[in-house]
Amino acid sequence: MPTTPFSPLGADLLSTLVFLPAVGALVLLFVPDGARKTIQGIGLLFSGATFAVSVLALLRFNPDLVGSEAFRSLMVDRPWIPRFGIRYLLAVDGLSLSLVLLTTLLTLSVLLVACGQKIDRFKGYVAAFLVLETGMLGSLVALDMILFYVFWEVMLIPMYFIIGIWGGKRRIYATMKFVLFTLAGSLLMFVAILFAANVNAQATGIQTFSLLDWVPAALGGAWGLTPRSEALLFWAFALAFLVKVPLWPLHTWLPDAHVEAPTGGSVILAGVLLKLGTYGLLRFALPLFPNATARYTPFIAVLALIGIVYGAWVAAAQKDMKKLVAYSSVSHLALVVLGIFAVNATAVSGAVVQMVGHGLTTGLLFMLVGVLYDRRHTREMADYGGVASQVPVTTTLFLIATLGSIGLPGLNGFVGEFLILGGVFKVSVLWCAVAATGMVLSAIYLLTLVQKVFWGPSTVAANRGLTDMNGWELAGALPLIAFVVILGVYPAPLLNLVKNSVESIVQVARVRMLP
Amino acid sequence: MVTVAHYVGLSFVLFTIGVVGVLIRRNLLTVLMSIELILNAVNINLVAFARQLGDLTGHVFVVFVIAVAAGEAAIGLAIVVSLYRLKSTVSLDDASEMKG
Amino acid sequence: MTFPFPASDLLVILPELVLTQLALGILLWATVVRKGREATLAWVSIASLAAAAVLIPVAARLSGPLPRAAFGGMLTLDRFSIFFKVLVLLATAVTILFSLKFVGTSSYPGGEYYALLLFSAVGMLFMASGTHLVSIYIALELMALSQYVLAGYFKRETKSVEAAAKYFVLGAFSSGVLLYGISLVYGAAGSLDLGDVARSLAATPRSSLLGVGIVLTASGMLFKIASAPFHVWAPDVYEGAPTPISAFFSVGPKLAAYAIFARIFFVGFGPRAGDWAPVLAASAALTMVVGNVGALLQQNVKRMLGYSSIGHAGYALLGLLAYASGTDARGENFGLWAILIYLAAYLLMTLGAFGLVVLLEAKGYATESVDDFNGLSKKNPLAAAAMLVFLLSLAGIPPTAGFVGKYFLFSAAMKAGWPSLALLAVLMSAVSLFYYFRIARAMYLVEGEGELRWREEPAVAAAVAVCVAGTLLLGILPQPFVALAKSCLLP
Repeated sequence: MPTTPFSPLGADLLSTLVFLPAVGALVLLFVPDGARKTIQGIGLLFSGATFAVSVLALLRFNPDLVGSEAFRSLMVDRPWIPRFGIRYLLAVDGLSLSLVLLTTLLTLSVLLVACGQKIDRFKGYVAAFLVLETGMLGSLVALDMILFYVFWEVMLIPMYFIIGIWGGKRRIYATMKFVLFTLAGSLLMFVAILFAANVNAQATGIQTFSLLDWVPAALGGAWGLTPRSEALLFWAFALAFLVKVPLWPLHTWLPDAHVEAPTGGSVILAGVLLKLGTYGLLRFALPLFPNATARYTPFIAVLALIGIVYGAWVAAAQKDMKKLVAYSSVSHLALVVLGIFAVNATAVSGAVVQMVGHGLTTGLLFMLVGVLYDRRHTREMADYGGVASQVPVTTTLFLIATLGSIGLPGLNGFVGEFLILGGVFKVSVLWCAVAATGMVLSAIYLLTLVQKVFWGPSTVAANRGLTDMNGWELAGALPLIAFVVILGVYPAPLLNLVKNSVESIVQVARVRMLP
Repeated sequence: MVTVAHYVGLSFVLFTIGVVGVLIRRNLLTVLMSIELILNAVNINLVAFARQLGDLTGHVFVVFVIAVAAGEAAIGLAIVVSLYRLKSTVSLDDASEMKG
Repeated sequence: MTFPFPASDLLVILPELVLTQLALGILLWATVVRKGREATLAWVSIASLAAAAVLIPVAARLSGPLPRAAFGGMLTLDRFSIFFKVLVLLATAVTILFSLKFVGTSSYPGGEYYALLLFSAVGMLFMASGTHLVSIYIALELMALSQYVLAGYFKRETKSVEAAAKYFVLGAFSSGVLLYGISLVYGAAGSLDLGDVARSLAATPRSSLLGVGIVLTASGMLFKIASAPFHVWAPDVYEGAPTPISAFFSVGPKLAAYAIFARIFFVGFGPRAGDWAPVLAASAALTMVVGNVGALLQQNVKRMLGYSSIGHAGYALLGLLAYASGTDARGENFGLWAILIYLAAYLLMTLGAFGLVVLLEAKGYATESVDDFNGLSKKNPLAAAAMLVFLLSLAGIPPTAGFVGKYFLFSAAMKAGWPSLALLAVLMSAVSLFYYFRIARAMYLVEGEGELRWREEPAVAAAVAVCVAGTLLLGILPQPFVALAKSCLLP
């Protein structure tokens, strides 16, 4: 069993990163329910510390390493169930590290905002987010398939409670739908993992679940899959991830979940959970099954294009602010999927940047809608109008987030969208054209949202006493805004971080795409 | 000439009657008797085979089966009696409250 | 067979001998104990089980190197049997803990109850080590006869008596079918000793006598583990029997039945695996579907757990199937290994879930609908959290024992060339989430109305706590247990 001693800030940094939030949740168990100040303190302490650890990981990470070397810089590799080659294998590359940072930042923000709002059963709320953070970070850094699956499922439980306990009126329906959609996909993936492990064991004689062993074996042709089994495996993986993204027509759980979820739930859902779908595609589906990827690219691309236009179109018709943002997510994430399946370095880097960017801007939008909802308990646009004068700070931040989401040059959305469209253009002009319409539409509906809610005449009397963001909420939102601006003006660090991982993924995925 | 096949045939007929009895009759006493028929079919088989094989185990087994069957009948009848006390019926269908 | 047996053979059954004596003593003692004072008897029963558990390694040490056959091959003490014996003793002890107040506060005498539980445990201990069809049958009947009485122990409750009647009819019937199958196998193989049966089956050609014998034996066994299409007794019995007894039924007899199932079919009928594997495959598929879909429709928690245990029996059949396909490239038989791990997980999570049902009962015999769990998370967060762990584990969600068990079973099925069954099993796990989450939903998402009926029982709470710890430990650090199970396989 473990031979090397545990060093939390040294070789085992990633373990610390993943389990620190869970430890926080455990500590919360021993705090009385009413001690709100203590609960706040513990929640912020642990999520803040996790953020700090993720920054430390960023500093330790060497973005210049290429291919599987990149994983070595922060790898934690211990036996877990050695008899079956199941390992406790954590590692990051630029792709996962950028999402890890997004996750830790958003969780911290969500907890900061929660401190400033009235939430009953506050302890459970904080604990659920901390457990969720462990699940998300674990999924992002696990490279052993079984370990990945464990974390993937662990995410489900706290989200179930976050929507189910702190959600709106139809919360139970929404949370069951969310769980069942996600679970149906992930169980399929579980079978595929077992099947692939069996194939790998038969082909190489080694029982292993490590992605670092699987990818070379699959690429070297050792797996010897028939096109049919490769297609089945690809779809088993892809469906699990596409449900999470969610790609049209698998998206129906998303609007329900978003509308019913409490603010923090929506932020994390849109900000991180959806990205785990696209992350899964990039990390697992593409490198493991390049032939099937190539074969089904047109099909998925068409679905993505439909998703872009459909999401935008439906968003434009919404009266509910949260639903509007939710459908805009469907549209934006479909663009990311399109970028991924373009399988060239430009489009995939764009997709990764857009994943981070969308996490920040949509997270912000949900957060700010939540601020309004916290005061007025309605999400209907018609119940607002002209509130800019009452809540100038909220308005400003909302406008920046909106512009970021639309892809205004100088804000981060622009970089991602531009790169995706550029990359897609190399593959198909038609795809690029259709995708671009989605972008135009997004400008229309998001600006309409801002216009209807914040500007114009103030007609609703109930909005008179509307108060602006309090200190906690501001503390949660400002870092996100800062990143939206910084990454828009100067995206080079992010691009550098992900450059090598993207290139190696693209390289691997293209190996067999060329005839 | 009576061969082992004849005994097995007889036991099979008894077994079938027993199985059909358990499946279609709802009176617990009849069901109990059907179960006894099955066990006796078993006994015939065991004795016939033991005789054919010249092996004592079959005979020994029969004695055990008879003993166990007696115990089973005692417990079965006790259950029938408690059911009759509560429900004034010995039919399982009439007494049945749990469904689904 | 050689007569007389060496006296050292008695050492092999030392735990069983001692437990039988103690059980008889408790039965005698029970005649003089006044109503309301039976708690002592319960604790003595638990002590007896503990004594038996302690004596298992002693017996193993004293009786010579394992595996040690005794009484002319009637019984064999090996690590496989020890594995099951420990689990059976554990299950019985936990059942007695569950029963302490349950029986104590009822209007029924407790002494015979505990004695019957112990007798049933003795039967299961013998089942675990039986290697001869005669000894297996007698052990099975000792267990079953005690259980018929236990099911109807609350003899003035109609549901309990009805459960006993159903359990008895179908149990006795299935024993008859099993026995008839055994008698045909005896005729075809010329022996009742499992080792001889295997040798003879390997040598003799296929015959209809043998085929019918094996199929009938399999049917009898499928009855005992409540597999479709022989499962119909299970939900009614689980619902009607006193709750601690339902908990016991869903664990103890099943473990013992799996032990003899594995022994009869692998040791005895192993050479004919190709013939019976398709029968098991069909039953496994049907069982998984019937159990999980049936559970969807239930409102009564005991009944739901009854159906869910049918579903679990279906998963475990996958392990038997995988075993039937022989060893893999490394000469390891994954199937049985998976079953051992899964059964241990199943024991922990099922007993735990039933423990909470026991704690939630007040009238002692009320129907426990899912709504009884409403709002539990607010009134007793710890209990709700414990139940959540069991539900997640039953549904097979990591990081719990249930996930590890399912992982082993499903990958065993996959390796053995039954990927379609593994896929079905996974789909059914998804279905099972519906009904397990109904309880989670009631506990966490629904507001409770009125007072929740909650019993203060430290003993039960402690047993539940142990189950939670075990479920999580087995889920997070399975390695030591996996290695242990590996050493307990049949040769």
